[in-house]
Amino acid sequence: MLTTVKCELKSFEDLARSFAAKELAANREENDRYPFGPFFDSVVTKAHEVGLLSATLPEECGGIGQDVGALCIILDHISAVDASLSGIIFTNALSQEIMLAAGNKDLLAGIMGKAADAKAALIACPSFANPSETGTTLTAVKVKDNYIINGAIEYVVLGGISGHALVPARIKGQEGYSFFLIDPADKGLNRSEPVFSLGLHSCPAVDLNMAGVVGTLIGQEGEGARYFDHAADRMHSAVAAMQCGIMKGSFNEALDYSQQRFQGGKEIINWSGLRMLLGQMAVQVKIAEMVLSEAAMAVENQEPQWNLYSRAASVHLSELACKLTTDGIQCLGGNGYMKDYGQEKRFRDAKHVQAFLGLAPMRKLGMIKSIVNG
Amino acid sequence: MITPKENKSLLEREPRFDDSYCSMQAIPKIPKSQLKETRILVSYARRFNDEVIRPLALKTDLKSFQDPEYLPWDLIQKVNEWGFYTLFIPKIFGGQGWAFTSLNYVIEELASACVGIANVVFVHYLGFVTMLGSWNISVINKVCREVKEGERTGNPCLISLAITEPGAGTDVEEVELVDRGRVTCFAEKVKGGYIVNGNKIFISMGHVSTWHALVAYTDLKKPSENTLMLAVKNGMKGFSFGKHEDKMGQRACPASELIFQDCFVPDENVLVDSRTVPPSQLRETGELVNQIIHYVVEASRPAVGAFGTGVARGAYEQALKFAGETAVDGKLLINHEWAQIMLAEMYKNVIAGRLAYCEANFSNSLKGGIFSFLQIKPVYYYMKYVPQAVIDIFIVPFYKTKLFNWFMRQVFVEGQSLEAQKRCSGWASIAKFMGTDMGMKNSQMAIEMMGQAGLRHEQGCEKILRDSKLLQIYEGTNQLNRLNLFNCLIARCIPQARVFEEE
Ligand SMILES: Cc1cc2nc3c(=O)[nH]c(=O)nc-3n(C[C@H](O)[C@H](O)[C@H](O)COP(=O)(O)OP(=O)(O)OC[C@H]3O[C@@H](n4cnc5c(N)ncnc54)[C@H](O)[C@@H]3O)c2cc1C
Repeated sequence: MLTTVKCELKSFEDLARSFAAKELAANREENDRYPFGPFFDSVVTKAHEVGLLSATLPEECGGIGQDVGALCIILDHISAVDASLSGIIFTNALSQEIMLAAGNKDLLAGIMGKAADAKAALIACPSFANPSETGTTLTAVKVKDNYIINGAIEYVVLGGISGHALVPARIKGQEGYSFFLIDPADKGLNRSEPVFSLGLHSCPAVDLNMAGVVGTLIGQEGEGARYFDHAADRMHSAVAAMQCGIMKGSFNEALDYSQQRFQGGKEIINWSGLRMLLGQMAVQVKIAEMVLSEAAMAVENQEPQWNLYSRAASVHLSELACKLTTDGIQCLGGNGYMKDYGQEKRFRDAKHVQAFLGLAPMRKLGMIKSIVNG
Repeated sequence: MITPKENKSLLEREPRFDDSYCSMQAIPKIPKSQLKETRILVSYARRFNDEVIRPLALKTDLKSFQDPEYLPWDLIQKVNEWGFYTLFIPKIFGGQGWAFTSLNYVIEELASACVGIANVVFVHYLGFVTMLGSWNISVINKVCREVKEGERTGNPCLISLAITEPGAGTDVEEVELVDRGRVTCFAEKVKGGYIVNGNKIFISMGHVSTWHALVAYTDLKKPSENTLMLAVKNGMKGFSFGKHEDKMGQRACPASELIFQDCFVPDENVLVDSRTVPPSQLRETGELVNQIIHYVVEASRPAVGAFGTGVARGAYEQALKFAGETAVDGKLLINHEWAQIMLAEMYKNVIAGRLAYCEANFSNSLKGGIFSFLQIKPVYYYMKYVPQAVIDIFIVPFYKTKLFNWFMRQVFVEGQSLEAQKRCSGWASIAKFMGTDMGMKNSQMAIEMMGQAGLRHEQGCEKILRDSKLLQIYEGTNQLNRLNLFNCLIARCIPQARVFEEE
């Protein structure tokens, strides 16, 4: 859908689709065993090599220089097969977007330039939290050119594998919060084992404990919320893209299965009860494609209220995806509940993705706040 | 005001009074001390939750990810020590004889702490009820006495139910579908017994049970009239365990493949053979098989509704706790009006699930329901107060007599009218899909409310979501249960209605 609106995105669609088919499909179940199985290092390396990790990063920073539309296309097609990699791409892109919103192109260019491998190029961040909602317990104190950070922060996504991490901290004596770039190898930093979670198993998060960790300020003091809100508004369309992909994956698997599975003497697709369920899913998928496409274009074209379109898309497609993926399991009966099929993973992943960028219900309240305040 | 004749005819209109207000009709007839029993059992369940389930639920789940072949022997041992495996087995079979009608309330309690472990406890009763559905008292007695012995000696002896096959899940739940299905579990009559071949899949607690209520067919072309239910024991030659499924949730409770290769099962282990059941005034052979299946689901589906209600409650309790402890936008979540409304909605979902399974329970207590005989006051008090030894001396010797089995059949087979079967089965389906849909709703809502915290394993909420989904699938998918409700209580309103006959 998005590629018919914007034809030049076709190459990204081809890239993401073939990458997903070649690199992700065969080992999906195995990769999902992380942290109780190995991490899919080689997949992340390849994703980095073909540019999936830097689609929206400007060319002068070493990225591909595309806008949100390309990112959405990529996430859509990757998520249809394995949303864990999408979680990595998303979190990294969110960190980049926050830094870009703060005008830190040079810093990004430096990170990309020096990165010897995929992991070194990754920037972790707590991509499920909106620090304005839940606050931050990290505090920063300025010491000469740098800041010293203390405290604990939960659920820093990619925090265990990335070359850098972006964290929100409150500068003592100030209102609001600021973002700081830290080195996960800093001696003052203690990190937990990967937090075992509902979905996106191979997009791991860790809890960090900091005692005197050195941080580089991103943008200006106290402006964290502004950068986050700007980046998050753009990235909500990326959340919608992930949900759209998950929905397509679940629908297609259900459609295939129901044409092969016999019950009551015929393929189950020929029972209209089941066909109605599939019909409902088909409607949801088509709506998702339309919504995603409109939202991504609104962001790219900076249309009036682009941020509301983007947020509405993520809220709505998250709700649809959570509904659709339970039906996706249901169509496969008992098999849908087993790890051998992708359906149970999609169900978990959709619910997991819904939690990106802060509490889902708060997003709706935030819409009204934006509309009323203009 | 109204003549008796008019009254009768008006109340027989849909919705029929007798099918609609089960609790109102059942409660006055229920022996008083049953309420006391339920209160004691619910508090016992709460203690079990505190001492066993809550400390072990997350640990067990994690263990099962670290080792996908993990089997819950440690848990089973504990459940056995606490006496849960004989709790609801009637005294006439050597059990503790607590009122079966209390089962679902206990289920809700346990499921609110961990529905996976609740299944480790209660799948056994699914097996037991299936055996009970055959009303073959001597075999049931033999198996149950072993369960009792297992409790005494500390070697747990559990019962599973094996009906689902690789090619037939929904089909084996419905007699109207089974003849069109791809069933393969074949039992061939030989001298002194049957030779069984075929596989069963997704059998809950298969690997850890000792006895299995196995459904097989003596003619694969017409299974509906050639259904055989066997009591199969571990160690029988030709019977083995296959794959142990890697499931999304309820990982404490294994789902197993059972493999039968030329497995000889002696005649004495036949629970019921549809070809040799005595003719019934009310039902043809296929309908008699249907009745057995429905007896089982009339008891088991409300139980799954109670599981779902428990899950809904567990999710609600997690969300409530979180809301009371977490600040959002500068104030506690619990003091955001939207969160209060969301919690009230979740509370209502729990109640809706509970009302449905309670009503199904009461339907089972009415005439023709599986509990009705046991609730006749003299029967109830006799079973409750007469010492075990007296029962063993004065009742047990009669189990093998024709008269006793004839009597049981009169009560349970002929004693259940077609209307009563429809009422009980219809209500069972309502309870099943209502409770389990509420479980799914609340577990989704809880995670939405908790955001990032809800995703973490150690918080317990994500596990509730994973566990919950299964409930909409087993004991007949929720779609099948809607169709069964239609079939039982709706189709009769419109004579042209046909179920499962779609071209
Ligand atoms: C973890 C687990 C534990 C289980 N435990 C046990 C157990 O202890 N013992 C046991 O015997 N079984 C057990 N089961 C099996 C369970 O009862 C079946 O999975 C269930 O009945 C569905 O059957 P199926 O999986 O074959 O799905 P299918 O029957 O293949 O159904 C697939 C889809 O088609 C739909 N469908 C099928 N037929 C129709 C129709 N006629 N009209 C409309 N829609 C239709 C279904 O609703 C479903 O959405 C268990 C299953 C699981 C997953």
